[in-house]
Formats: sequence, structure tokens, C-alpha cells
Amino acid sequence: MNKPASPHQLEVASRARNFCIIAHIDHGKTTLSDRLLEITRTVATRDLEEQALDAMDLERERGITIRMHPVTLEYRAKDGERYRLNLIDTPGHVDFSYEVSRSLAACEGAILIIDATQGIEAQTLANYHLALEHDLTIIPVINKIDLPAADPERVMGEVEELLVMERSECILASAKNGIGIEDILEAIVARIPPPKGHRDHVRALVFNAQFDAYRGVVSYVRMVDGELRTGSRFMSMAHQRVFECTEVGVFVPNMRAVERLEVGDVGYVIANVKSLGDIDVGDTLTAATNPAHVPLPGYRKAVPMVYCGLYPNEGAEYDDLRDALEKLKLNDAALVYEPETSAALGFGFRCGFLGLLHMEILQERLERDYTLDLIATSPSVVFRVTKTDGTVEMVDNPSKLPAANVIRTIEEPYVKSTMIAPPEYVGAIMEMTQNRRGALLNMEYLHDGRVILTYEMPLIEVIVDFFDQLKSRTKGYASLDYEMIGYREGDLVKLEILLNGEAVDALSFIVARERAAGRGRALTERLRELIPRQMFEVPIQAAIGGKIVARETVSAVRKNVLAKCYGGDITRKRKLLEKQKAGKERMKRVGRVELPQEAFMAVLRLDD
Amino acid sequence: MLGVYVHLPFCPYLCPYCDFAKWPHRASAAARYLTALQGELAATPPAPAATLFIGGGTPNAYDATALTGLIARLLEHFPSPVAQPREVSVELNPELVMPGDFERYRLAGVTRISIGVQSFEPDEVAVLGRRHSAAQVRAAVQAARAAGIGSISLDVIFAIPGQTRASWRRTLDAALALDVDHISTYGLTIEPQTPFAEWAAREPGAFASDAHEADLYGDAMAVLRAAGYEQYELSNFARPGHRCRHNENYWANGDYVGLGVGAASYRDGARWVTTRSLEAYLAAVEAGAAIPRETERLLGARRAGEAAMLALRTAQGASVVEFKERYGVDLLDRYAGEIADLRATGLLELTGEHLRLTERGRFLANDVCGAFLTFD
Repeated sequence: MNKPASPHQLEVASRARNFCIIAHIDHGKTTLSDRLLEITRTVATRDLEEQALDAMDLERERGITIRMHPVTLEYRAKDGERYRLNLIDTPGHVDFSYEVSRSLAACEGAILIIDATQGIEAQTLANYHLALEHDLTIIPVINKIDLPAADPERVMGEVEELLVMERSECILASAKNGIGIEDILEAIVARIPPPKGHRDHVRALVFNAQFDAYRGVVSYVRMVDGELRTGSRFMSMAHQRVFECTEVGVFVPNMRAVERLEVGDVGYVIANVKSLGDIDVGDTLTAATNPAHVPLPGYRKAVPMVYCGLYPNEGAEYDDLRDALEKLKLNDAALVYEPETSAALGFGFRCGFLGLLHMEILQERLERDYTLDLIATSPSVVFRVTKTDGTVEMVDNPSKLPAANVIRTIEEPYVKSTMIAPPEYVGAIMEMTQNRRGALLNMEYLHDGRVILTYEMPLIEVIVDFFDQLKSRTKGYASLDYEMIGYREGDLVKLEILLNGEAVDALSFIVARERAAGRGRALTERLRELIPRQMFEVPIQAAIGGKIVARETVSAVRKNVLAKCYGGDITRKRKLLEKQKAGKERMKRVGRVELPQEAFMAVLRLDD
Repeated sequence: MLGVYVHLPFCPYLCPYCDFAKWPHRASAAARYLTALQGELAATPPAPAATLFIGGGTPNAYDATALTGLIARLLEHFPSPVAQPREVSVELNPELVMPGDFERYRLAGVTRISIGVQSFEPDEVAVLGRRHSAAQVRAAVQAARAAGIGSISLDVIFAIPGQTRASWRRTLDAALALDVDHISTYGLTIEPQTPFAEWAAREPGAFASDAHEADLYGDAMAVLRAAGYEQYELSNFARPGHRCRHNENYWANGDYVGLGVGAASYRDGARWVTTRSLEAYLAAVEAGAAIPRETERLLGARRAGEAAMLALRTAQGASVVEFKERYGVDLLDRYAGEIADLRATGLLELTGEHLRLTERGRFLANDVCGAFLTFD
């Protein structure tokens, strides 16, 4: 328990430790979390399985945890004392790097898992640097040491070399088989400093926030200074809104109400908050009377990086789509959307996402949970367009790009991307990145022969099919991570696609001038494969500023007649035609051309 | 008007492209079937019928005695409507024709025969798995004419693997040279679960492209029309006065009664097809039980849509006036968008009160007919 202290003094919660587990995908984060829960008897083994089953289908299928709630572990250490270890989960994908940073900000230490068979990967490095930025104590854990292919010696070499840590700091473990778990728990107690905070004001960091249909927003908080109790009136510093606490509690692992949350505690706050727009991730909660002067650092509004148009395949489903987006938005402050109209696709929404994975997850959720049949246009980033009159426009939809003659400059977001791969794939990576306007910043060889390549690249080049291509060209060996580094001017043009002579707004995209003709050729070829033959010939053209740069043709169907239709055939023949017609109706009609839904995502699937 | 169809499912051998209800001819099975058929007939309410069509299978797998005996019973059961001459058609395989058959058919009341020729090119006949010769076809036609059969029709197939425009032209010319009254030209259709379907799956390149098929179809229309045949339906060409009235009744969405295994009937808006299992058919009839069948009744717009699908196959097309009276559907109103599109694409035309396929529309009839189908 906290020792009483005078107001202006720092209070130390000496029996608490706040930590997170960070790892490259598949290095064993979930398994280690489960094992820690089990060994501290926070959750019975039997319940663990149930918990795993409760996870969303999407997450299970993708083998990633998008978000998990924190959990408090009770641990009696070898020094005889009982400690409260608060494990705070971090989302496992670069799209959610802001959420990751807020989770790290709630901790004093991090367990960095490295797979003993794989070694350090791109995400390991990215997570490591992020943890260092938050001044966390890092405990390197070499996991899966009991696998035949494990090479802990080599991996410890990488830790020394890349993470500049002592070999002796590494803990050898197998989360799956319970090896080294005690060592990890002891290291958490011994190495991670206890949380400290002030008593003279209240500040709680919201590191995650979920929407519950019955209780409103549930804020996951780390108490930094002071305390919050049931009945306390508090204020969201980001949104300047005052609420009354209806419940505070902790996760053990289920939510359990407590009287108060004190310095260093990790728990939740419920206050009849109706929307994630009133309290969101990164927010600071403070007392309504005598509020803190300065919020905790690091808050920013979630900024969508990737946009696409979402349209109902059936116009009648527009209202359903709007309702579904509203509901998703309640639980996901990062999703933004506004109505838009496409000449080709009718009424729909322009939706902004944190990244490609975030986009795919939400699309799948709309289709599965809300059983909507959607057409998604190819993703775009937000371009910063400076016009000749000096005004600046942010353009998240290629069809909204101003005319070329009024554009002074177009800037686009850039990322620093880090890839780690065996040396035999360096050539392939270099070719790919060059094709995608990447500039090599740095190339570093690891002891085991692998190479770390650091590039600056336009974000649009990364979101459009880069990861899949990278994986396929390196037989799955390369790993990738990236971070935003700001806007750069580019020589960019709008590539338009014309079907049957008419420009199709939903198929246009913004592309580097140097790559435009090549992309145009690739896309027209792909569309020729995707568009079924119609009753007439369909020319497919790619154009830049009205100039045709590529052309393909879908030849016309010449004959589609049932030879026989007599008494015995009528029902069967009618069903045959109905089936043909149903196939057509699944398609989107643009002008006179029937387009399959995949056509609108074709740009995502182009080989270089 | 009522039409009667009778299915005789036995064949001397089975063709690899055919998916009709059919079995190899065995005397015992054929005799048992004929008895069952008479049983089914006895259980069917008698009614006047304007047309009778004996199809198969291969009806002349039965000898003339059996066949004419059956026809006599049918004509007795389904008398001629007042003041209307009756059309009685029989489908025939030319290689099974025996001397004297046609006289006996004519005496039994047969007015029309339809001979399955398929091709006059020996290699194409072989590809289709058939065994007759062009000489047998010629002999059959001459014998039928000599016996005084009023209307003689030939079936020919295009888009046979290996067929060229030149060889198709030779088949058409050979058919014309026989001076017949009616010619049906059928594009080869790959039916699922036939040996041809397996072949097409293994070697799709062996079969005609739709462009080639379109050329062949176009050639047939040009050649037959030039020779004085009217294309009164997508696949059917007749000299004046020689249309097949039995088939016209199908496209007019008229009533018909089907007898035999796998036969379809349509009465008062309900369509039913009896079981395609020979065993189940025989067992049911012999036990005096109801023959298993599948029934479908289309209502309202769906019924009108199906009727449009049928009517549009004919040269006359679909009468807007008739559809309004008969189905309560104003085609021009209900399908205004579809009709505008199809007219703009040049596939459909409105002539007087009739919507009908254009020349181009005949090649893409499915796209036109499909536009009028509505389903849930």
C-alpha cells in the first residue's frame, strides 16, 4: 500500500510495477501473457482457453491481437513481498503506433520478447526504440529456447549488437513450456522501477478507451498523480468536459469495482460518457475542482493516414452502411467518415483509417458483423496540394484533385521504413523499393548475415500492396516496420481510367509521374482480366491529363443463346438465365459497363 | 390450345452430348415401359388436343407396330378439337427406319416427322458418337415423302468440335438439297454430367469459341432464309405452312400435357416434371401410385417474365397487348429501363405492339430474355 506523504512530495508505489510486453508478430507475446496470468493464478488454465475463444474471429484469423484489456497480477516475490504487477497490452501493428505509444507511456518497464529461432526483426527494433523513447526499463527475453532451431547464443549476440544491452540481461525462456517464467517475474520486480507520482493534483493517463453499449465509454487509465474515486468529478483535459465517476475499478482479470485508484494504479473509469469523442486515447483526466495545470504529454487526435471510399453494392443499403459506421465509430475514435458521391458508385462514404490493416479490419467487420455487401475503392493517402493562389487543400480522394493548371505543388506523406531480411533477398528488396521511389538511408549487416535496410519512401507506395509483395519476394523472411516522417513534395499526377471512353472516378488514383505510364499499363491489363466480356467491346484506357498512356480491350460476347427451349426445358432454362442475370446484378454498372467489385481494388493487386 | 408430349426414352446407343432422360434400348424394359405409359394415360383426364409430339430418346427404337398402337390410343384419348386438323409429330433416328414404316405412320395419323441428322459430314457424325450415314438420311427423307408424310424436318447441329464454316455450309447445303419443309439448327450445348462436359473440362480448346459459334449461327440464318425458309424461332426454320405448331405452343406459354418418364406438363399456370428415374416411374405406375414429380407455379411478374423469355424467342416476339390482358403486366412500363437499354444497344425492337429481337439480338437472346426475368 502507498505510504502517506505530504502534498508536494513524490509518492512511490513501491509494491506496484507497470509493464508491457512488446514483440515482433509471432514471437510469443500472447503465450507469455497467458503464462504470466496462469503462474500468478490470476486465471485458471481452463479459463485461459475460454478467454482465447472469446477473442474476435478477425484477430484469431490474423494471428494478431489488436487490443486487449490490461490485467493486474498478484505476485509474491522471492523477497517475501506481494507485488501488484500491471500488465498493459500494446496493439501489435504499426497502424496503431499512437495507441502503442500511449500504452508505453503508462509503463515504467517493458519485456521485449525475441524469438530464439528468428532473432531480432523489424518490429522488435521499432518497439525497442519506442520503449527507449519512453525511458522504459527493458527486459530482453529470448523465447522459444526449447525449439530445435533455437539459437539463443546468436540472438544474444544481436541483443548486444543492436540493442546495446548486456548479454547477461537476457532471460532465456519458453513461454509455451513454462521455462524462465519465474525469472521474468523476478526481473520485473527487481529491475523495473516502481511508479511515482504527486499527491497535490490529479492526473490519469487514458491509454485505451472502449465503448460499451450499456455503460458508455470505459477509459483504461494509469493513475499518474493523485487519486480518483467513485463519485469524483473529473475533467477530460483534451476535450474540456466534466464528468462524474460512476465507477472505478481494476482488471483481475475481469473488471472489479474498487473504492479508488491511487498513484501508480492501472484500472478503469466509467462515467456515463456517451462517445469516444468526449474522452479518447491519450487524454488526461484531472479533478474538476483544482485541476492540474498541464496535461500529460503526448496527446494527439487520431489522424487517419489511409482513406478509401466505401459504397453499398446495393444502393438501398446506404442507410444500413451509415448506421454501421456510426456504431463502429462509437468503439473506434480513429475511424472517420463522411458522405461522398461517386458518379460510378453512387452514394457512399469517404472513410479514413490509421493504416491498411485498420482499414481491412473495419471493412471485414462491416461485411461480417453488419452483413453489408460493400465496394471499396483503392486506398489513398492524404495529399497536401498547394494551389497557384497560395491556398492549401488536403486531398484524400484522387477524384477531388484540383485541375493540373491550378496546382503549384503536391506533397505526400513519407515514412521511414525498416526491413530486416537474409542477404540473398537484398537485391529483390532494393528493386522493389526503387520501383516504389524509396531512397536508401542505411544498410547494416548483422552477425548472422541478415541485413537491415532503412528507406525513406512515400506512404502511398507502402500501403499499396507493398507488404504482400515483400513477403512473397523474400519467401516470408523479410520483416517490415515504418513510421511517419512528414510530407515531401513529389512529382505527382492523377491517372484516370476510362471505360468505354468515359472516365470512372472511383478508379482514378494519384501516382508519381515517372511510374504513371507503367501503372496505367499494369492496371488496364488487370482490368481486362477482371472485366467479363459484355454485349459490346469495352475499351479500357489509362490517361494522364487527357493523354492516353495505355489501352486494352475486352472483346464483345458474340453469342449467348440457348439453342433449345421446349416444354421440358422451360423451368431449367429460366433458372439458367436467372443465374446469368444474378451474376450480372452482383456487378456494378458504370455507364453501360458491368464491373465486378474486385475491379475497384485492382490497383492494390498490381505486380511491379 | 392443348399439346400432348409423350416421352419414349430408349435409344439404340447413347450420344455423349445428350442429357435427356434416356436409356439403352432393351426389349423387356421397352415393353414394360409401354405398358406403364398406357397406365399413366388411363389415369390422365381426356381432353381435346391440337398437337401430339412423340419425342425421346429415340421413338423409332420401338417398331412401327408398337409405335402406331401407342399413337392410336393417344389420339383416342386426346381427340381433335373441333374444326382443327391435328398435328402429329414423331422424332426419328434415320438408321432405324425400316421399309414400310412411314406408310404405317401416316395411316396411324402422323403428319410430321423430325429426323435427327446432326451433320452430313461423316467425321462430325462420328465426333457426336452417332452411327448413321448421309445416305441413310437421304433414303429416310425420300421414303417419308413417298409415303405421303405431310411435313419433313431435319435437325442439324453446329459448333461441333472440328466443324468449320465450310463444313457447316456443306451440311446446310445437303439439307437444302433434300428439299425438306423444316430445318432446326442447334448450337451444340455442353450439358453438365455428360461425357462432353468431361471432354470440355479436359480440353476446352476443342470446342468452338463463341465468336466461331456466332459465325456458324449467322451463316445458318443467311443460308436458310435465302433458300426461302422463315426463321420463326431462334433455332427453327420452316417453309410457309410448315411451322411446328406443337413447339409454337410452348413459346406461346400454352398448356401441355407430358406423359412418360421425365416429361413436363404445364396446365393452368402450374408446371410439373415427373421423375427422371425410370425405376421410380415404373414402380409408381405399376403400383397405381402417384408418379413422383416436381411442381412449380409462378405468379404475377415472374410468370409474365417467363412468358416473355419464351415469346421473345419467336419471330413475332412478345405482344404488349396480350401480356397486359393475359398477365396484367405492362411490359413497356414495368421494364421501361431494360427495354430502353436493349433498344439502345440494338438488341430489341418495338414493332407495332410487339417487342422482338433484332438481328443482332438473336445472337445475344439470353441477355435480352434475362432482362425480363424477375426473381427473389
